[in-house]
Amino acid sequence: MVDADGPPETRIAFSETEVRRILQHGPWPPPPSRDLSNRVSGTAPGIELGERLFFDSRLSSTGTVSCATCHRPDQSWTDGRRRGVGLGAGDRNTLGLANVRLQRWFGWDGAADSLWAQSIRPILEPSEMGGTAGQVAALVRGDRELACRYQKAFGRPPSLENDEAVLVDVGKALAAFQETLSSGRTAFDEFRDALARGDDAAAARYPLGAQRGLRIFIGKGACGVCHFGPNFSNGEFDDIGVPFFVGPGRVDPGRYEGIKRVTASRLNLLGVYSDDPDRSTATGTRHVAQAHRQWGAFKVPSLRNVARTAPYMHNGELATLRAVVRHYSELDEERVHADGARVLGPLRLTSAEEDDLVAFLETLSDGGPGYQRPIAPGEWTCVSRAWWK
Amino acid sequence: MLTAVLSGPLAAPATDGDACTIEAQLDGRQTVESARYRVAYRTQPERIVVGEHFALELTVCPHGRTPQPDTVRVDAQMPEHRHGMNYKATITSQGDGRYRAEGLLFHMPGRWVFIFDVRAAGQTDRVTASFQLE
Repeated sequence: MVDADGPPETRIAFSETEVRRILQHGPWPPPPSRDLSNRVSGTAPGIELGERLFFDSRLSSTGTVSCATCHRPDQSWTDGRRRGVGLGAGDRNTLGLANVRLQRWFGWDGAADSLWAQSIRPILEPSEMGGTAGQVAALVRGDRELACRYQKAFGRPPSLENDEAVLVDVGKALAAFQETLSSGRTAFDEFRDALARGDDAAAARYPLGAQRGLRIFIGKGACGVCHFGPNFSNGEFDDIGVPFFVGPGRVDPGRYEGIKRVTASRLNLLGVYSDDPDRSTATGTRHVAQAHRQWGAFKVPSLRNVARTAPYMHNGELATLRAVVRHYSELDEERVHADGARVLGPLRLTSAEEDDLVAFLETLSDGGPGYQRPIAPGEWTCVSRAWWK
Repeated sequence: MLTAVLSGPLAAPATDGDACTIEAQLDGRQTVESARYRVAYRTQPERIVVGEHFALELTVCPHGRTPQPDTVRVDAQMPEHRHGMNYKATITSQGDGRYRAEGLLFHMPGRWVFIFDVRAAGQTDRVTASFQLE
């Protein structure tokens, strides 16, 4: 039970219900896990191959766009743009990749049910990397370093006949690497754990404004209804009144179309490329149901490191966290196409409450160092130079 | 024709010793009933977590001369939010009035209501059970 032993200006006396809700947002970090559908998940050779491929622009048709073009390690694995730009302009904001392994569906519309299938999509998308299975397979076969690393990861050389199978393996290696991208502990995690162990002195170090903002988050804001759990996302989708029009005569149906795509995809978890013999990872895919209220619904993103992944929303239309908070504060319910559902309503926050909620969200960012590539580009570490003489 | 039903767990066990009553006594299953059917159910895992799939094990017991069910359907809704699940449960019969429903997922905390539609001889009984998910 939390009390107010510290000076009044440093602590909020959270109720038992509030403490229970706060504790649900941890512990952090979650334990490591492997993706059963991906045979190289969690393996060092798979991760190393994936890391190489992630930064390799030869996966694109022009040799100018890599995964890292939009998912930049120096920008929290996003690009800071309103909408992604690859070979062409995209319709959606680039999602960050920190903690991506914790998701059940991938992409703003959840059109992929595995990280490896999601990793293939932009390679083939004309407006992103514009590649083909044949081009990717030829790259892996023909590049000695990649072929060597492929052999080490998968235990065999890349197929000479089945380009699609090689492309899928590339997706699995990319996924294995991305699974290692995790955000670190934050000021909120320190506060949450201090509450859990009853350490009032440690809890008092959490900024008071952030405490007030946290109270709004779990209380009148009801943000935790969707931004639930340690990763601050329930992994599902919602319509929050952000327009789904993307241009003259064009709309983005979001989750509604995403369900159609993932259930029809030959790369889904029920298909031949899943390495999970029991298909135990495919429960979602097997049971997902399309409903009208999902039209214009988009992914509930994680809020970890949210202060670093501006701009916001699926179309990147909100430039700052304050703009996001104001969106919810002044929500236009007429724009929420929820098919009768009543989850959201305008919060009507004061300016001070907006300040506090932003202050809380900013404490969800870690202070860790940026990503450092373990192997310098161009360095040969798999194929011995002596082997090729 | 839908039958108006009682909702929520029974305060005291019935005395006719059917399978639903026995299972409720043995493993603490919740029981709810309509005029014609009693349903004993439990979640698997026992503790449901927001955003994670779970299954339901249920037994459907007819009262008196009520026929055994032809079909059973399982669903859930959040009445206050006026929406259901994002998933459609599949149900398999395991014989002797026992069923297993898979693929359920509650994507928000709050009050959910399990819906058991029991159909027999052209008539459907709806049995509901309230469930508070923290």
